[in-house]
Amino acid sequence: MKRKPTIFQKEETEINVSPLIDMVFILLIFFIVATSFVNEVGITSTYKDSNSQTDSKRKPLSFNLPGSGQVLLDGNQIGLEGVAPKVRNSSIYEAPSVIIRVSGGAKAGLATQVMDQALLAGAKAVKLTAVSK
Amino acid sequence: MKLRRRSTLDEEDESINVSPLIDVVFILLIFFIVSATFVTLPGVDVTRPRVEKSTSLQKNSVLFALSEKNEIFHAGKSVQLNEVAPLITHAIKEKEKPVVIQVDQWADATLLAKIVSAAKKVAPSVSLATLKDR
Repeated sequence: MKRKPTIFQKEETEINVSPLIDMVFILLIFFIVATSFVNEVGITSTYKDSNSQTDSKRKPLSFNLPGSGQVLLDGNQIGLEGVAPKVRNSSIYEAPSVIIRVSGGAKAGLATQVMDQALLAGAKAVKLTAVSK
Repeated sequence: MKLRRRSTLDEEDESINVSPLIDVVFILLIFFIVSATFVTLPGVDVTRPRVEKSTSLQKNSVLFALSEKNEIFHAGKSVQLNEVAPLITHAIKEKEKPVVIQVDQWADATLLAKIVSAAKKVAPSVSLATLKDR
């Protein structure tokens, strides 16, 4: 009997949603502004510390990148195209490790491409090292 | 005259229904909350090298950039080589994150090698950002 007035009241009042909408809009704008869509693709150089290098009995393949923009293996000019076949040839029994020795003046783009070629040919690990003249 | 009077009468009669609007805004809000990663960009544009085998890298990572003029950038500021390792240590103190280096095609490779070896000592993994295939 006493309930009746409350039901009557409920029907009369509505929740005011405008502060809620304001809040949600502020949050929305904050997240839109703060979100940065970073979607990078790339290559990861996997190489353990130098002390675990002795695990492998085989010597790693060592490519030299002098400042002239050439790619050398044991002093022979092989070019960027020659990297993948060389790595593939030496991976008959075990995937080889690759060391890329860069000298001053060598371009990072070429070093990255050599790394990519070596990884593409199935190299186990690729390491970049700088050599001082 | 007639038309205007009727429209004002209509407006007074019924208020705009905002519930679909709130629905849409909520969906947008949830989308942005979920996709927010809060990565600090290095703030320099580099020409990435083109490679054949590239994989998608983790979105939540510590970003460095090596520009054409052999400057290292992190979070919009130019940094020195010896500051790289402390910056990474500070960035991954709370949560393990990989390091991504945005390297310019024409940057010096010896500097890149030094950054990579410095980052390797403290970070779980180091990647080089490359050009996206179209």
